[in-house]
Amino acid sequence: MRWTVLRRFAISCAVVLLALPLAARTRPHYGGALHVETEGDPWQKPDGIARRLVFDGLTTLDARGTVQAALATGWESDNADHRWQFRLRPGVHFHDGSPLTSTAVMQALNLDCPANCPWAAVHAVGSMVVFTSDSAMPNLPALLAEDQFLIALTVTADGKTPDGNIGTGAFQVTSFNNGVLELTANEICWQGRPFADAVEIRAHRSVRDQWLDLSIGRADVVEVPVEMLRQAQQQKLTVLVTAPTSLLALQVADTGSLANPMLRAALAASIDRSALANVIFQKQGEATASLLPQSLTGFAFLFPVDRDLNKVHELRGGLATPTLTLSVDGDGALLLAAQRIALNLKEAGFNAQEVDAGGAQRADLMLRTIPLEGGEAAAVLESVSRSVGAPAIALDSSPASVYRAERGFLDRHTLIPLVDLPRAYATGARVRDLGLDADGIPDLAGASLEDAP
Amino acid sequence: MKTMKLFRWAAMGLGMLLAMRGSALATSPWEQPAGALAEQIAAILGSGQAHLTIRNLSRIPNDDVPAIRKLLAQDLKEHGVTVSDDESANSIRVTLSENARERLWVAEVIEGSVTQVAMVRLDSDGAQHAQTAGGLTLHTETILRLNEPVLAVLEIANGMVVLEPEQIVFETRVPNGWREQSRTGIGQKQPLPRDPKGILVPEGGTAFEAWLAGTQCRGSYDPAQSPGQGTVSCYASDDPWPLLQSEQAAVPAKAFFNSARNYFTGVITPSVDEDPRAFYAAAWIPRAVGGAALVVGGIDGKVLMIESGISKPIAGTRDWGSDFAVIHSGCGAGAQIIASGSGEAAADSLRAYELPALEAVPVSVPLEVGGTVMGIWSAPDGKSVFATVRRADDQYEVDRVTALCN
Repeated sequence: MRWTVLRRFAISCAVVLLALPLAARTRPHYGGALHVETEGDPWQKPDGIARRLVFDGLTTLDARGTVQAALATGWESDNADHRWQFRLRPGVHFHDGSPLTSTAVMQALNLDCPANCPWAAVHAVGSMVVFTSDSAMPNLPALLAEDQFLIALTVTADGKTPDGNIGTGAFQVTSFNNGVLELTANEICWQGRPFADAVEIRAHRSVRDQWLDLSIGRADVVEVPVEMLRQAQQQKLTVLVTAPTSLLALQVADTGSLANPMLRAALAASIDRSALANVIFQKQGEATASLLPQSLTGFAFLFPVDRDLNKVHELRGGLATPTLTLSVDGDGALLLAAQRIALNLKEAGFNAQEVDAGGAQRADLMLRTIPLEGGEAAAVLESVSRSVGAPAIALDSSPASVYRAERGFLDRHTLIPLVDLPRAYATGARVRDLGLDADGIPDLAGASLEDAP
Repeated sequence: MKTMKLFRWAAMGLGMLLAMRGSALATSPWEQPAGALAEQIAAILGSGQAHLTIRNLSRIPNDDVPAIRKLLAQDLKEHGVTVSDDESANSIRVTLSENARERLWVAEVIEGSVTQVAMVRLDSDGAQHAQTAGGLTLHTETILRLNEPVLAVLEIANGMVVLEPEQIVFETRVPNGWREQSRTGIGQKQPLPRDPKGILVPEGGTAFEAWLAGTQCRGSYDPAQSPGQGTVSCYASDDPWPLLQSEQAAVPAKAFFNSARNYFTGVITPSVDEDPRAFYAAAWIPRAVGGAALVVGGIDGKVLMIESGISKPIAGTRDWGSDFAVIHSGCGAGAQIIASGSGEAAADSLRAYELPALEAVPVSVPLEVGGTVMGIWSAPDGKSVFATVRRADDQYEVDRVTALCN
């Protein structure tokens, strides 16, 4: 009798639930707190997850990688791109309430870039920020969108150094205690208030712990290293993956025994890039011999990726080399990749010994990842090449011109491209509309929470 | 005599072949890039013979590759380069490639141990969308494609006013669409909320009003009188926005918009509901018994019908997104709701519904729009609706949606 009543009650409830109009909405909701976890430091350059939440650049890149106005509303160049002037957006304020001025921008950029900058000098002229250089700066608007040129307040209104990170971005810092960075929405953000009221970033969390927290609803956005992408997909995580946003490359010294470019070319032909992509990165990276990915240029195939031991012997021409030192700027998969590269080199007749990256002497070879920020091939080429030495600057943005500049840079063999790597994040069920910026960083300001009030 | 006849037939055949080739080439999208690439190749090789290979790394259908090869061979010949099967000759290796933005054709010209490269870039083609079935058939026509977000558009005579978050743009009609003539800054004092919203309302003749969060504008645009120039005057305002398509309502209603958010506060003047609640979208729909009811899409996801001061939930709206508008198609009940799809859809859809009682009944199949619907509103005559769609490439397009009775 009791069971019959219970069954009737359950059926009645089900019928009532089915009859009720169910909620469906697609506009993003305001409110709630996003919980994000990261293995690294949220402030680290160039890809700390908090940086683009708190700071803005003079320019920014849209999802296609096209340059768009940000703190600057417009820009013009004179004198064949040797001089640029950027007009500041009026009415923008830092989180402490002080106005954004051209002087504040100049001070921030001078602090961001003490040396090897894309410009020779930066000046504040009224509401303009003016850049000058003896060399042409055709890619300056795109370069200024990079993470390294974000604008932070360096001097407060009373002439003091600010206590903490103060920018103009969608979120402002509330606290950073015990590895937890608390950010709150900037109500007067020039781009509009973000949807979430707050973002909590838990730093220095292992990937395993991040995934565990995601599974129990304690985290909304967690990292997925490239080598674990397949595992994440097998576990049915909701994963956002970008096009390639970084390049795994071997930086080669051009001194000592490696001053001979033929030897450096032989090193490039020694490495089995496909094995790195397929084994170390579980087929989630793309073997490459070009600086710029195919998705950016369409001509990456002009740089063959195949290992060629016959060419190695031909290039070496019987030259003996002393043991080369190999360091790794990173951990995890990069350490495994370095071991495989050392093995490849040994098979090709080179001896490579892994050394500590923090050693006093610079290693002959350094395995590192280089960010590929942006969607304009000429600007990315300049940025990548600038990060390892003399910049390769294409005369114009035509594919042929970019190809010639890239070919010229790679023929020096001071940087050996190996694998293009995407960036990936997994999200919880309550996160809506989360996109990834052109550099692969989650655009948390554009995300909202399904269960927000 | 016989020779003359043969000559005449041969001439006719040749003429027909040439005409066919001319017509094929005239319609081929590959003619221009093939010609440009052939010219560059010839500049490298000079005249002579070369072995041509071609591979396709792009989304161009493989069926098109033989035609492209044929065009290239013909264009090379015109520049003095004869394509040969002799593999010992100079080689031309053409790759039909692409990047995330555009197509790229690359020719590697190999002379002995020296390889030189030639390239031409091509624009990627756009997609057309159309779908049929159901009680009525929805059709879309893309009328504008822009890099900036579009909040609303309004057609005036042979002109169009486009409301962007920070500017009002004036366009004039040209044979193949619309051409921007001028743009005027709105000059908001306060930043717009993310996911901004705005409407354009005709005010008779060439006049219009624009409503955005915290701002109202009045303007006029008459392409016939002042080509390229419209007038706009904007000022800060928290006045309520008119609820469009309210002819059937007893009194024109207006709703207050929350200028710091992306929704209306729920307060409507004159009051239509004893229990106002915040909403994203509202539309007047004629009732079979006469008059009109207000359909409201609440921020809690529930869709309500407000009639005679009483609001009642509408069932069957679980597939609705937050945006909808009314179309007076003349089909079925005469008017339908066109609603966006629910969920986080990169490939959103539009679907027509009727509300015979308090239940939404789909009367068309979902119409894919190739992106995310950012807004829907009714045209001033009510016979079509406009939808703004953000495409995966971050471009915005404005589609006119019409309904045909089946």
